[in-house]
Amino acid sequence: MSSITYLESQKDEYRILDQWLKAREYVYVGKDVKRIDALDKVTGRARYVEDFLVEGLTYARIVKSDIPHGVIEWIRPGRAVEHPDFIALVTCEDIPGLNQVGYYIPDQPALAEKKVRFHGEPVALIVSSKPDSLEELRNLVEVEIKPLKAVYDPLEALKDKVLVHEEHGSNIVLRTKVKKGDVSKALENTDYVVENVYKTGYQEHAYLEPEGALAIPMDGGMTIILPAQYPHLAQSIIARVLGYPQSKIRIIQPVIGGGFGGKDDMGPIIGAQAAIAAYKVRRPVLLVYTREDSFTSHCKRDPAYIRYKSGANRDGKLTFVDVEIIFDAGAYANRGPFTLWRATAHATGPYEVPNVDVRGILVYTNKVYQGSFRGFGNPQVQFAAERQMDELADKIGIDPLEFRLKNILRIGSRISTDQVLEDSVGVGEALVRVAEKCGWFEKRKKYGKIVDGKARGIGLACAWHGISTSRGVPDWCNAYINVSKDGSVSIYTGIVEIGQGTHTGLIQIAAEALGIPVEKINLIGGTTDAPDTGATHGSRGLSFGGVAILLAASKIREKVQKVASRIFECKPEDVEIRDGWVFEKIKPEKRISWEEAVKRCYAEGEELSATGYFFMPKGKFDEEKGQGFAYIVFSYMVSAVEVEVDLETGLTRILKVWPAICAGKIVNPKLAVTQIHGATVQGIGYTLMEEVVIEDGKIVNTNYTDYLIPTISDIPEIDEPIFVEDYFKFGPMGAKGLAEMALIPIPAAITNAIKHAVGVKPSEIPYTPEKLYRDLLRRMRE
Amino acid sequence: MSQNKNINLGYINLFNTHIIPVKFNYHAPQTLEEALNLLNKLKDKARVIAGGTDLIVDMKLRRKEPEHVVSLNKIRELDYITVDSLGVKIGAIVKLRKIEKEKIIRERFPALYEALKSMASIQVRNMGTMVGNICNASPAADTAPPLLIYNATLTAKSLNNERKIPIEEFFKAPGKTALKEDELVTEIFIPYPPQDSHSTFLKITRVGMDLSKVSIAVLTKFNGSIIEDIRIALGAVAPTPLRIRRAEEFLKNKPLTEENLKIVQEIVAKEIKPITDVRSTEWYRREVAKVLVKDALMKCLEEEGGR
Repeated sequence: MSSITYLESQKDEYRILDQWLKAREYVYVGKDVKRIDALDKVTGRARYVEDFLVEGLTYARIVKSDIPHGVIEWIRPGRAVEHPDFIALVTCEDIPGLNQVGYYIPDQPALAEKKVRFHGEPVALIVSSKPDSLEELRNLVEVEIKPLKAVYDPLEALKDKVLVHEEHGSNIVLRTKVKKGDVSKALENTDYVVENVYKTGYQEHAYLEPEGALAIPMDGGMTIILPAQYPHLAQSIIARVLGYPQSKIRIIQPVIGGGFGGKDDMGPIIGAQAAIAAYKVRRPVLLVYTREDSFTSHCKRDPAYIRYKSGANRDGKLTFVDVEIIFDAGAYANRGPFTLWRATAHATGPYEVPNVDVRGILVYTNKVYQGSFRGFGNPQVQFAAERQMDELADKIGIDPLEFRLKNILRIGSRISTDQVLEDSVGVGEALVRVAEKCGWFEKRKKYGKIVDGKARGIGLACAWHGISTSRGVPDWCNAYINVSKDGSVSIYTGIVEIGQGTHTGLIQIAAEALGIPVEKINLIGGTTDAPDTGATHGSRGLSFGGVAILLAASKIREKVQKVASRIFECKPEDVEIRDGWVFEKIKPEKRISWEEAVKRCYAEGEELSATGYFFMPKGKFDEEKGQGFAYIVFSYMVSAVEVEVDLETGLTRILKVWPAICAGKIVNPKLAVTQIHGATVQGIGYTLMEEVVIEDGKIVNTNYTDYLIPTISDIPEIDEPIFVEDYFKFGPMGAKGLAEMALIPIPAAITNAIKHAVGVKPSEIPYTPEKLYRDLLRRMRE
Repeated sequence: MSQNKNINLGYINLFNTHIIPVKFNYHAPQTLEEALNLLNKLKDKARVIAGGTDLIVDMKLRRKEPEHVVSLNKIRELDYITVDSLGVKIGAIVKLRKIEKEKIIRERFPALYEALKSMASIQVRNMGTMVGNICNASPAADTAPPLLIYNATLTAKSLNNERKIPIEEFFKAPGKTALKEDELVTEIFIPYPPQDSHSTFLKITRVGMDLSKVSIAVLTKFNGSIIEDIRIALGAVAPTPLRIRRAEEFLKNKPLTEENLKIVQEIVAKEIKPITDVRSTEWYRREVAKVLVKDALMKCLEEEGGR
């Protein structure tokens, strides 16, 4: 991996990370420390965005387009002005800065301007003195939109008969490419070839708390209490919209009721909308999306259409993979360029494939736009890749597990982009251990037979997921730590607590590095008061946010060691700090307290604050050739699933799931288990139940009566996870990303198990009982 | 979690506890007479609330915006389950969960017991009432098919009148019943099913706690291998829950052979009028209704065999 650039200026940081990686034995890391926010949450003391009361508060709601594609003729408050609670109608004309909240491509307005491009697009904001009258006021607003022809099907949109963005000249947002070897030559010399089309649907984040923002004009700027996943991104987008310098925007995170990626995109957008309204009315504005608004107007997981052709030889070795991926971007590009790139790079699955040709197309349509969602473009393509592996294994006549093991990535393997994996590849071991635990070979033999109208099956799937940004896209983290005179410690990080428990894990890392109990540490997170730490997405919160905290804390530790070494008359590196005590390693009985050591530092001119900036080493990717550096490291996941299918109704019951994860060092096993459980269940919903129903561009199931997510009675037994701790050299104590992983293999694992049970070949998710039943009938006729 | 030096954190924003966005007058009469008086006065301006598991949701979504809400919850005289030699009487404000826990229901009305047990979550069953489930008149109301096969009767009272309505005549359309605007259902009477009969309830849902895609209740009484009495009711497959009389007539005095079973399945598929909606498709509902008819009848037959 000579193509990776290491920075001379970060040599010290590399050294510190290496030290902690080699320690291997830890006091706080690797332990089930109780979540710091648990008590507040279960006692109702936790404060969500709606729980803040500020003086002069006003309330806002979005006014939405009821047309999927059209030209805005006019927007007027109409009879709303006569209402005693009416304060203002806010439109794009009230925006002091740029009406632009696009993420990568500047194509998305904060409030629609001239055109609307999807049903439910916010065109205005209504501001009221009371929340109770918002709905009434919103209905009084007059919006006149002249309808244009709309396009909903991405394959139809490719023909460019209707343009979603005329200025772009085409509905194709962009194309992606990964290429290795020569696919057409390989095809000629391949024994077995399988070709299929796979389709995946939208998925709604379904967080308990919908989007909200409280914007408060103050101190000559704007403070926004905002459930977001990257405060500094929200800050920069809101600054752009208001025409303020970034430093005048302050973001504070309240307790957040779930994110799953959705609030990474929606935080800046709703924050900008609330800020625009607050700017106009010169009072604090609380903007909350109702559940229905959240369904109609916030981004979803990108639907995908995947043409997949792959081949293998008699010896069970993959020869080539040839894939076309079409991602439905919806009305705006948002994260599409990145979810699609991720899908493109991961399309082979975690296997060594000598010849690869993957082409991605991102297409605009007149539907709600796509966005970040746990897995970020990868669950779609792993579904295709891992279904395809089972179909190929079938064709060769080999066990799907053995087929995978023959091709699985190992240290030294070349991935789809031709990057060589240098270390931290535990997936092969995970496969073997999962198979052992679930009784793979026995059940593959025993199941697949119909008993009383029902049949059991077992299936498995792998997933790999690049950690940190892709290609050469810069990625950094930072944190600021300050030790108060009494020895207590404040940590400032931009990493956001969205319910995943990361703040607890971060405190564990700090406690480890400083050698003090977790109770002495206070973490202030998710705020622009902290240095720019990057986003809490891509499973990087704990792994990457933790690097910064480990570095900052280690710098402070070294200062305390230095001062203490003068007391003990020894070398600084011989000073140990543990459990709040400072002592010389060989003479632990002669010790001083942490507080005493801190006092000495203050008295002797040793600064006890530090930042922990780290810039992730990156390589180069050649977009022309479709080759080069993809990701610094990958996490891996294997899940086996046992199902029972009722052949008369098409109902699938999941009996048990066996997960194994390769996420390096596990910082807090209990938290890891909760993430694996949550992601598995979210994957089950994605695979079998969750369906956004769109009629003429309009989402019709905008509540939980009609959009179904798994309930407690749908959740199967999930086995104790297998942790394959394949340490990563640039993670804190070797940790990699974890939170997204368990969702990614679930669609293929379940559908592979269904195939094993009843012989159908699922190619579309959600694979509802209706679809399974239809496929069963078709199979019976054949 | 963050420090917000300029923001007053002392108060909770109480406005946000207002989950119903409409104004209404709330009445909580202490006696049945008071309630009937109110209904007599307010007529269609009022909505009756017991558990509120349907009405509150509708009001929150502004599907219903009543000027007045009349709560029955303080009327203790409506909170009873009485058992006598003819059957069971259940008052209007008895919670679903309480009925489900009643021994007599489990033992003598197994189809109703199964339906109750399958409904929503325990939390919702601790709020909702059976009379409410029936009066809401959802085609998918889970207690409707069992009450239909048990030939339940509703007591409807107004200030000046009282009448009995057989459950089969109660449902008119989705959300519409035979009830007049000043009337209140005060009681459901469920007569005991015939001696040595068997009854069961089945349903298909999308997820564990969900409205039915299709539900069914069946009652059978065998005389040897011959079916002496048969009742079949389905939910969520037509504008109202319904008895399938034609199927019943066909099976009466016949043995439950494979051939007869097939004919009954076809009759049911013909009699129902399912629709395609977000929960399922017309085609699938029809297919699965057939499966449920078979499963329910077979379950009854098994019980007969095991007796």
